[in-house]
Amino acid sequence: MQTGRVIRIAAIALALATTVASAQAINSGAQTIALNATLAESLTLSLTANAVNFTLAAGSAANAGSTNITATTTWVLKPGRTAVGVYAYFANAAAALTDGGGNNIPSSAFFIADNAGASTALTNTVAFGGANGGLQLANVAITGANKNSSRTDVMAFNINLTGGTLPQLPASTYTGTLNIQAQATP
Amino acid sequence: MILQANFGRMAAILVLAVAALAACSNAQVRNSGASTIALQAVLNDSISVTLSGNAVNFNLIAGSANNAGSTSVTATTAWTLKPGVRNLRLYAFFSNSASALTDGVGDNIPSSDFQISDNGGPFAALTNSVPFGGANAGLLLSRTRIRARNRSGSRTDVLNFNINLSTLPNLPPGTYTGTLTIQAQAI
Repeated sequence: MQTGRVIRIAAIALALATTVASAQAINSGAQTIALNATLAESLTLSLTANAVNFTLAAGSAANAGSTNITATTTWVLKPGRTAVGVYAYFANAAAALTDGGGNNIPSSAFFIADNAGASTALTNTVAFGGANGGLQLANVAITGANKNSSRTDVMAFNINLTGGTLPQLPASTYTGTLNIQAQATP
Repeated sequence: MILQANFGRMAAILVLAVAALAACSNAQVRNSGASTIALQAVLNDSISVTLSGNAVNFNLIAGSANNAGSTSVTATTAWTLKPGVRNLRLYAFFSNSASALTDGVGDNIPSSDFQISDNGGPFAALTNSVPFGGANAGLLLSRTRIRARNRSGSRTDVLNFNINLSTLPNLPPGTYTGTLTIQAQAI
């Protein structure tokens, strides 16, 4: 009886060992694929429109532009950037708009209200454009939470013809180019 | 005369017969003992994986769910297996799920945002623990049942890649690198 039991146990053990041996995993060699993903730094600004008309009233402080324009600034910034600034500027503060015959509307008479804020003349020296021909519309502090983000600035325009000699501005067509540009720093 | 001639012919035939019998007696074969040569031929289990390419590039768009790899890679798995092996599985994995790709300064793309489509199937992220690689950093690409008729065989898996940045909208610009590993296992 004892001998038979031992033989049975041995047979079971052998069967188990065989099963374990046949269940051993066989692995191939590991083949690798090198991955390279590039996320480029970017800062873009787009406008909803590129033209504004003004019907001027001589000597009037309120000559609103025909339309508002929305500037959308979008950025993907590297670590270390601390701010994004949005600027409006003219190339020449003395002649923001001109009739080409020597009669000019200076940038100090050109006003922008950003996102329904106060209407402000372009009289500052900013990162772009001529001296005293600009205005910082927005300053966004960049943190870890907004390295990739965007903002919109709705700009309403006005020309104030009350200052200096502007009440005597001759009738004519005055044209100019206002630039909107963003900058990430440092 | 005639009788004499017949007798002579019969004598000649008799001599020839005796000579033939004597010759037969000399041609008996003699065999040596049989010496044996033991033959053993071993066909080992083998599995190999080869890849059609070893590099994939991505041009990422911040916050975008769709950032496809520059190329697909075909994995060809070939095997010769012993009886008893029932399944062959092909895996893709990273060594670390938290940083499948990294810019080296602490900004990472986890394996959960790295996706593979196998043979035109749906994209799936590498979020499972598989026999190789890091925890939650792998994906079972394919499983082949092994039967008598395919103990030796091969298969191809065409892998397409995508990085989903919709869950990483604030990933900073940079160059992110990593190593994806493809490996097969039979069991």
